Amino acid sequence: MKEKPKKPTRFQRLRNWDSLKLLKYAVIGFFALFLMIPLLSVFIVSFTGEPVNLFGSFVNPEILSTNIERLSNASFEHYANLFSSGSVYLSALNNSLLLSILVSVIVIVMCLPIAYAFARTAMPFKKTLAALCTMPIIVPTFISAAGFIIMFGRTGWVTHVFNTMLGTEGAIFNVYSMLGIILVQVFFFFPFALWPMVAAFKIADLSVEEASRNLGAKSWSTMVFVTLPLALPGMISSALLIFTVSFSDFGTPIILAPDGLNLIVVQAYREISGFFNWAGASILTVIMVIVAAIFFWLQRLATKGKDYGTVSGKPKKVKLNAKKAVTLPLFTYTSLVVLLPVLTVFSVFIQSIATTWGRDLLPRGFTLDHYATIFTRSTDNIMNSIILASGALVISVIVATLVSYFVVRQNATKLDFIASIPLVVPGIALGIAFIQTFNTAPLQLTGTAFLLIVAYAIRRMPYMIRSTMGSMMAIRSDIEEASVNLGASRLLTLTTIVGPLMLPGIVAGSILVFVTVIKETSVTILLAPSEWAPMSLMVFQNILRGQMYTASAMAILIIGVVLILQLVANRLTKNSLY
Amino acid sequence: MGSVTVKGLVKQYSDVPALKGVDLNIREGEFYALLGPSGCGKTTTMRCIAGFEDITEGDIYIGEQRVNDVAANRRNCGMVFQSYALFPHYNVFENVAYSLTVRDLYRGSYGKRVKSFARLMSRKLGKPPKELYQKVMDALQTVELDHLAERGVGELSGGQQQRVALARALVMEPAVLLMDEPLSNLDKKLRNTMRTTIRNIQQEIGITTIFVTHDQEEAMSMADRIAVMKDGEIVQQATPTELYGKPLTPFVADFVGSSNLYDATVIGERQVKINDQFVVHTNGVTASNEAKVLIRPEGIKIIRERHESTNVIEGQVTMSTYFGPNIRYDVNVGTANVVVEQEFEPGIPVYDQGDHLFLHIPEERVLLL
Repeated sequence: MKEKPKKPTRFQRLRNWDSLKLLKYAVIGFFALFLMIPLLSVFIVSFTGEPVNLFGSFVNPEILSTNIERLSNASFEHYANLFSSGSVYLSALNNSLLLSILVSVIVIVMCLPIAYAFARTAMPFKKTLAALCTMPIIVPTFISAAGFIIMFGRTGWVTHVFNTMLGTEGAIFNVYSMLGIILVQVFFFFPFALWPMVAAFKIADLSVEEASRNLGAKSWSTMVFVTLPLALPGMISSALLIFTVSFSDFGTPIILAPDGLNLIVVQAYREISGFFNWAGASILTVIMVIVAAIFFWLQRLATKGKDYGTVSGKPKKVKLNAKKAVTLPLFTYTSLVVLLPVLTVFSVFIQSIATTWGRDLLPRGFTLDHYATIFTRSTDNIMNSIILASGALVISVIVATLVSYFVVRQNATKLDFIASIPLVVPGIALGIAFIQTFNTAPLQLTGTAFLLIVAYAIRRMPYMIRSTMGSMMAIRSDIEEASVNLGASRLLTLTTIVGPLMLPGIVAGSILVFVTVIKETSVTILLAPSEWAPMSLMVFQNILRGQMYTASAMAILIIGVVLILQLVANRLTKNSLY
Repeated sequence: MGSVTVKGLVKQYSDVPALKGVDLNIREGEFYALLGPSGCGKTTTMRCIAGFEDITEGDIYIGEQRVNDVAANRRNCGMVFQSYALFPHYNVFENVAYSLTVRDLYRGSYGKRVKSFARLMSRKLGKPPKELYQKVMDALQTVELDHLAERGVGELSGGQQQRVALARALVMEPAVLLMDEPLSNLDKKLRNTMRTTIRNIQQEIGITTIFVTHDQEEAMSMADRIAVMKDGEIVQQATPTELYGKPLTPFVADFVGSSNLYDATVIGERQVKINDQFVVHTNGVTASNEAKVLIRPEGIKIIRERHESTNVIEGQVTMSTYFGPNIRYDVNVGTANVVVEQEFEPGIPVYDQGDHLFLHIPEERVLLL
């Protein structure tokens, strides 16, 4: 040894060991500022009925006294109004609950045969069908809704075909209705339930089934009395998941809900952006979060102790049912189910290259003008989307990497919990919370691109963390210890060793963040300043204005980008180093 | 280089004690083995020295310096991990260069710091300075891997990875070298060569080395001194020969080499009765009437006739096992089982199951514990 190690001064020790602690506080501060405090202030406002400026209270005694006064006026009055009969809020809640329950029940029933087909039979064209059965979730719901209008609207081509065939008049059904919303959600959310159900069917203990068959039970009774009950927890959990997804979905109802139909997300949006009704918006936000949280918790409960990914032991070879009498009907059924979403996207595509189209099976002519239009007049929107999504990505990468590190290595369970809260906060609720919290000094951020970026990052954080946490857990702790042993501080270890090793997970996660930000509507509609309008907002506004052609062209662009990025992400996670 | 002193080291995990007061006195340049079964606290002791565990009580000195409050990255202990813990995203050279680059990053001029950081992030961002390059190549040469410097660590065999880990630890010229079961992941043949390699390198550099192992043969063949640990405590600290010849407790005797261990009663001056079966004379002395008797299997001689008057017993072979260089007999003497090991030479009589034979146990081989 050439030089004696000097005894580290207090400052050096602080620098080496506390830089990481400092980062931990920074991460906690981030969540406090942009998640906990907004949610808390919405909660308070739901009682006071007037805006509460929590940040202002810290810096300005006047604001503090106003706030205290408002707090003293807090009451359950607004909640009492909510639950009085005939209230708009109550009907909105009822309608939303009804919608989500119907959607989840229909989805489960609809998916049962498909899940069985994928898990247990040698259905023909399985791979193609699997891809098609995944596709619907990458389509933003407001685009699916628009596709439904193109097909089933009064001038839609399906309506036209139907009418000419039967000699009738008018729409088959009103797209702008509860039914329209239910159909869109069912056919575009079913993959969320399908794949967990396939997993459940695959995992359900085959030996029990074989025993049942050995004992002389027929295939059908085995299916009903043995297989189904075994897969039941998986089904229940899927249903609860669909419920949460449907309940928080904003894209479908905002396009398809008629004036007479109150849905909680739409109502909340109207309260805040139309009437600036703080009390109403807050109460609806609180209710949304509570409902979503309850169902999320129930879902966790249903899957508790049933980790389908890590079942131990050798996977039993599933003997696939190859009887034509079984596989052909299942194939037909599955194809019919995926036909609707496929046609919907296809219709949007045709619309995007049509000169004029309506009341006919085919458009009058084809053109690429709409694409030319979006690439000349809407380049700003495209750039905005890229900038906003990249900003959100940078924030999520940094925060998610740190959170995974603290959770996996330092067992920071509270941080893990806080970081998963966004899962139960619907986009519209987060938007409302942000507007209320950041609309006045000292932290006046409403209307800035920054707040929008943070909102995106917060919303997608749990997904990003799931991705980075996976890679983090794959890194053995002794690799980090080796680095420390060789003289690097924990922080340097994190940057030079842990970071690069987590890269596959980070990249895959950030692509997903990018994708979802490009698809995002609810937070965008509430928070995007006009000069920062992204592609999704442009599509949304054009749909509302009835400019379906350019909206469709932009929608196809979004779907294309999303599809490509999603494929890249899937590739990365499968071919990852570990 | 430095000595390592551990005084009254206690490590408490919530309510389970992992170490209950460990004292070690490791001299400069010594090759020191911590030996014991899994869960005995040997690895914990090493991790405390390396600074990976907060210690509950006690003091650790490296050289003259008390290191209790020195962060792990400033303790200057090179460690070789059981799984080697090589950095998978770096090649062999970069793995070995890591500590030197990190040192430049903390101590160099600002330009040097930036360059070092860039090199840590990607090899494309700059070439290592000459001096550093030479040091790394020297270290690789010591472990005979200089020709593989540009290889990815995933492409190396287990033995090569092991040597990279060793070079990586040595290149920073640590005060102490710590090795945590470094040979346990290698196959038997490779293990034997690595033993010699490690021992030779250690001797050449003269670095104080602490070696954790559960394999007594490994400890005996490599270490200058061995501490046998059990349940978070050190049972005996001694040289290999001392440990084998004069184990302090039956645990040590049994752990270090194979052994015949019996309960015995002292029946007269230097005479003990084993298992109430037979009487043998011994050199050992004990204060009490009851004792444990240890007889190493290779200390027993097989004789054809009872020509010695004392310490000869008769038995019947219950099993004979051939090991190549030696033969092991399990012999029944009354109700006692006596294991005998005999070197195999051409021409010596070989006994089969059921054969009767006489065993001579020299007095000096009968150890009282």
